[in-house]
Amino acid sequence: MAQESAIPAVTPAAPETAAPRRGSAWRGIWKFIRKKPLGAIGFAIVGFLLLATIGVPKASFGWPSLPDRPLGFELGSPILQRYSPEQNFYNARGRVRSFESPSSNHWLGTDKSGRDVWARIVNGARRSLFVAVWALVLATALGAGIGVVSGYFGKWMDTVIQRLMDALQSFPPLIALILIVTINPLTSGPNLFVIAIALGLVGIPSVQRIVRSVVLATREQQYVEAARTIGATDLRTMRYYIIPNIMASIIIVFSTGIGVAILAESTLGFIAPDKLPEGPSWGIMLSDAYPVIVDHPGPGLAAAGAIALAVLGFNLAGDALRDVLDPRLRLG
Amino acid sequence: MQAYIIRRVLLNFLVIFLVATFVFLALRIDTSTVVNRAAGSCIGGQAGNGQAGAEECRKIVRAQLGLDTSLPKQYWDYMTGLIQGDLGHSFKSQNAVLGEIKDRAGPTIELGILQIIVAIVIATPVGIISAVRQDSWIDYFLRFFSIFFLGIPVFVVAIITIVLTARYGGGTLSDWFGPHSDYASLTSDPAKNIKAMLAPALIGGLGTGAVIMRFLRSQMLEVLRQDYVRTAWSKGLRERAIIVRHALKNALIPVLTLIGILLGGIVSGNVVLESIYTIPGIGNYVVFAVAQNPDFPVIQGVVIVVAVTLVFINLLVDITYGWLDPRIRYS
Repeated sequence: MAQESAIPAVTPAAPETAAPRRGSAWRGIWKFIRKKPLGAIGFAIVGFLLLATIGVPKASFGWPSLPDRPLGFELGSPILQRYSPEQNFYNARGRVRSFESPSSNHWLGTDKSGRDVWARIVNGARRSLFVAVWALVLATALGAGIGVVSGYFGKWMDTVIQRLMDALQSFPPLIALILIVTINPLTSGPNLFVIAIALGLVGIPSVQRIVRSVVLATREQQYVEAARTIGATDLRTMRYYIIPNIMASIIIVFSTGIGVAILAESTLGFIAPDKLPEGPSWGIMLSDAYPVIVDHPGPGLAAAGAIALAVLGFNLAGDALRDVLDPRLRLG
Repeated sequence: MQAYIIRRVLLNFLVIFLVATFVFLALRIDTSTVVNRAAGSCIGGQAGNGQAGAEECRKIVRAQLGLDTSLPKQYWDYMTGLIQGDLGHSFKSQNAVLGEIKDRAGPTIELGILQIIVAIVIATPVGIISAVRQDSWIDYFLRFFSIFFLGIPVFVVAIITIVLTARYGGGTLSDWFGPHSDYASLTSDPAKNIKAMLAPALIGGLGTGAVIMRFLRSQMLEVLRQDYVRTAWSKGLRERAIIVRHALKNALIPVLTLIGILLGGIVSGNVVLESIYTIPGIGNYVVFAVAQNPDFPVIQGVVIVVAVTLVFINLLVDITYGWLDPRIRYS
């Protein structure tokens, strides 16, 4: 950031304003690709995942619900899909065309019930991504809030909160996840929002720990001391002096966490598919395909590849983001 | 030092107490599902049919499962049992949970230790080479290798390995790397046991090794820049002596902590690999207890055992840390 803003100051001022700015943006991207090729691959994968979630939106507003209305308005069917993920294909004799190899019609072949695997992967991307995003919104909001409070006030407040977090972190994460989803007092059946909430709850301690350590360092800075000397209240100090200065760390935690959440959601789908609502989901696809995977590896490998690619992409992107924004931050 | 250890042990007990309370309360949010499922087999039996019969059944089942008393009473019984080392009896099998966990701890611990060994054997040379030859092609290759295994979930690696070896590996490879339906303990049939453990140990070890390798590399880079390493170079020592005796020794201390932390996670970390490779460990056991009809005592027992191992391994790691590196001071 600092380097980039320094560049125009050093180079002699150009008479035109619009053209060089565009050029420097492209040059910035090119520089990033050359300096951090793995990070660039990560951002490319993340970009592709985002592309897979895009559909023609419909004007139907309401409370966010997953997977079709993740942001409060209804997303239409993904532009990348060619067929509906639930459509079964039959051959001329009326038989289900199950386990077909990839063709120009079905780019990744068909699954056991003759459904288009590509369409299911694309729809699964939307589902995984938005479950992860909502989980991380919850985890970072609560985790960062608790972290700021315990790091800023310290003393007995910090001790109490840290012991509580220790206890929460001693729960085996996957087991806690299945447990929360099984208990689920909110809805009668499996629900994606409940899974997002469960993922978010499980993620709170790790977010809190990282944020707290950053706050502990920030609290000792002179500008914070100065703010307190001129009589800023605790709330004002946190809001205007601490939080803006830990935003970079929070962004990094958020982006790295999405990969972890996608992995956890698909692991849950693979281990306990009946805990997730039905529909195209990478984890459920893998679990369905697993019993016959040696004879018909197509759909299983497609789902496994999608999970691996998404997790790898967010890891690489998160790493690069950390190198750029805050290289000293220790994750995990 | 002594005061530090005593304080940490007391805090650990506090944490375990909190964990035990959380899991107890979480399970009591909704007991009706468990009771209804368990009552299913009794309805139509001795208690008679119809609405009244079903109600009667639920009552019997509640009493059997110990869910008929008030919540504080249940909590008191649970906590007093816990202090005496009694984790209760499984809803399903009626056996003591502690005994069932003990039976399944062997495979889990064995798998975890094998994975850590695989991880160390792979990660140590890889981490050293990639730090010493920083920014060379071999460093890039090794770093990509580590990021790859760090990013790709172990169960995906396991599934791809199973498919590849079964389809293209021929008889021996698929026999070694596929899941086995029969499992034998290390003492009863070592050859069979190693065969079942090999694939999950290698695959899990690669994932863990990637974490260790990255950490060791960054530690080595830090240490190699220190003054005493430069002094060693200027004294004219051989590269091997500098790297192994001066640099590695100091770089390894934080790595050992990481290994300790990873060891603490082995009980909960292998749930998926255990279920893919049908290893009768704790992970398999608890997933079954949670995902099917929730078996409260089993869930409580495993969560508490996992928490106990985790907090005490962490304490052990911290003590070892100070012992290995006298510069660390406890407060």
